[in-house]
Amino acid sequence: MTGAPVLNFQRLLPDKVALITGSGSGQGRAAAQLFADHGARVVVVDINDEGAAETVQLLEEHGGEGMAVHADVSSRPDVDRMVAAAVERYGRLDVLYNNAAVQMSGRLVDCTEEDWDLTIATNLSAIFWACRAALPHLLEDGGGSIINTASTLGLIGSEGYAAYGAAKAGLVLLTKQLAVEYGPAVRANVIAPGSIDTPRFRKVLEKTPGAEQFVDGLRRTIPVGRLGRAEDVAAIALFLASDQSAYVSGAVVPADGGLAALR
Amino acid sequence: MTIPGVAIVTGGAAGLGEAIAHRLADEGAAVVVADIDAAGARRVADALTQSGATAAAVPCDVTRGADVEQATQVAAGLGPIRVLVCSAAVESRQSVIECTDEEWQRVLDVDLKGPFLCMKAAIPHMVANGGGTVVAMGSTLGLIVAPGHPAYCAAKGGLVNLCKQAAIEHAGDNVRVNVVAPSATDTGLFIRFSAEAPDPEALRQRIADLNPMHRLGTAREVCDAVAFLASDAASYTSGCVIPIDGALAARRM
Ligand SMILES: NC(=O)c1ccc[n+]([C@@H]2O[C@H](COP(=O)([O-])OP(=O)(O)OC[C@H]3O[C@@H](n4cnc5c(N)ncnc54)[C@H](O)[C@@H]3O)[C@@H](O)[C@H]2O)c1
Ligand SMILES: NC(=O)c1ccc[n+]([C@@H]2O[C@H](COP(=O)([O-])OP(=O)(O)OC[C@H]3O[C@@H](n4cnc5c(N)ncnc54)[C@H](O)[C@@H]3O)[C@@H](O)[C@H]2O)c1
Repeated sequence: MTGAPVLNFQRLLPDKVALITGSGSGQGRAAAQLFADHGARVVVVDINDEGAAETVQLLEEHGGEGMAVHADVSSRPDVDRMVAAAVERYGRLDVLYNNAAVQMSGRLVDCTEEDWDLTIATNLSAIFWACRAALPHLLEDGGGSIINTASTLGLIGSEGYAAYGAAKAGLVLLTKQLAVEYGPAVRANVIAPGSIDTPRFRKVLEKTPGAEQFVDGLRRTIPVGRLGRAEDVAAIALFLASDQSAYVSGAVVPADGGLAALR
Repeated sequence: MTIPGVAIVTGGAAGLGEAIAHRLADEGAAVVVADIDAAGARRVADALTQSGATAAAVPCDVTRGADVEQATQVAAGLGPIRVLVCSAAVESRQSVIECTDEEWQRVLDVDLKGPFLCMKAAIPHMVANGGGTVVAMGSTLGLIVAPGHPAYCAAKGGLVNLCKQAAIEHAGDNVRVNVVAPSATDTGLFIRFSAEAPDPEALRQRIADLNPMHRLGTAREVCDAVAFLASDAASYTSGCVIPIDGALAARRM
């Protein structure tokens, strides 16, 4: 899987070190593979060791280089450790891609305090912690890029995603703040995925009655006429990670097949 | 008498919350002043009572579910809860690198989890009584960013999305949820912050001059917006953000 058909005649991340959280599956894994194909050494962080090991194996099979690091990003010490592990192994850090997240659904009035705290910790505070830990390295090496994964649900009002939507919307503002505060040395951007056909998405579908019909209906609302693929998102992440996007900072890039244009 | 029923005002012991508490009482509401500053809440509730309104003070830390439940119970004891104004908030001015775990958590808890817990407690009462309205105090900094406010911007940005969701989830219950987003205002935390500057007036003028109207907002202007949103005049308005900012946000994308 050499990823998306963008500019891959050229290696866009030669010698860069990229840390990607949640890269043991889905979008994070696709990005890890694509980044490695483009010459980056990839720090594959996940709470799921098996997934992370598999990702490293996949990129090594392609001649890439990477290492797996176990971390639960909802734990602040874990987040500090993952950044330290990256710098210890590779001596630098160029790209921080905060992709891991939890997704719990439920109306605001039904959301428990526990679910709220976990969602805010994993999807918002974790990114703050990771940036705080990584920034000194990104600043030192110059040309650093932070990529944070929000969601369409962080851009629009929806129903049934109280804590998730709030965390993702907060993340958009946090990212803009990073762009303003740490430019010119560091750029920071948001990817806002719509409906991406990843293992997570499949898991949600399993619990959805009439899943096939639901997906058909969904497809019809998406201007490009299909669900997204993890590789579609990885292509955007590659652009944002590389110097190709040297003049892009504080941006929110939808990965949603045109869905945002409807909203 | 445009706002009958009971109104809960968090952060009602000071600043804009205090002004809002008075305004809602003037509009006919019975007001519960819920604030972590128990003495301040008492003082404001006493002033309201003296001016002929029905009022109660509840010591309440909005980050604690039990406190919020207590304030909601006191309010329900006065009559049907019609209005919740979430004004309690804290600000923090630190860069991402300087911001400590505690500071980050405190701002996210008071400014974002607080409104979540308050809505979670109050909205079911509103639904049971045929409807109600929530007004959350956002900020220009929940729409755009300024350096040095990572936690505040993240919390206020999250708050906008949270309120939109609550608005959609309860659109069929006659519960409306809206956000008022002031820029620097002549009352409350900005004035206290600027008072610490070497030349407070100069700082206030500099901030005012960044604004297309070249002045600070006033508490009355904020109260007008809150009263409008809390009243039936806004019966078709929900899930929206009203900037009270002298056109400041209009300059931004
Ligand atoms: N799939 C979609 O439709 C969709 C839509 C919008 C946004 N997103 C966002 O995209 C990102 C990636 O999602 P995906 O679809 O690839 O999901 P996925 O479930 O396939 O992969 C997420 C990975 O993150 C890991 N992870 C979860 N919690 C973690 C934690 N606490 N610490 C470390 N790792 C953890 C999981 O083990 C998993 O490997 C998430 O931020 C998600 O919110 C996804
Ligand atoms: N004043 C401004 O210029 C301005 C501008 C933009 C937005 N805002 C927003 O307007 C709202 C009101 O601001 P203000 O200027 O009146 O602030 P303020 O600091 O004057 O008053 C805030 C009140 O909240 C209370 N409070 C703090 N933490 C609490 C907690 N954990 N539980 C309960 N109460 C708590 C304080 O005791 C105080 O009485 C806030 O949401 C603020 O973010 C104000």
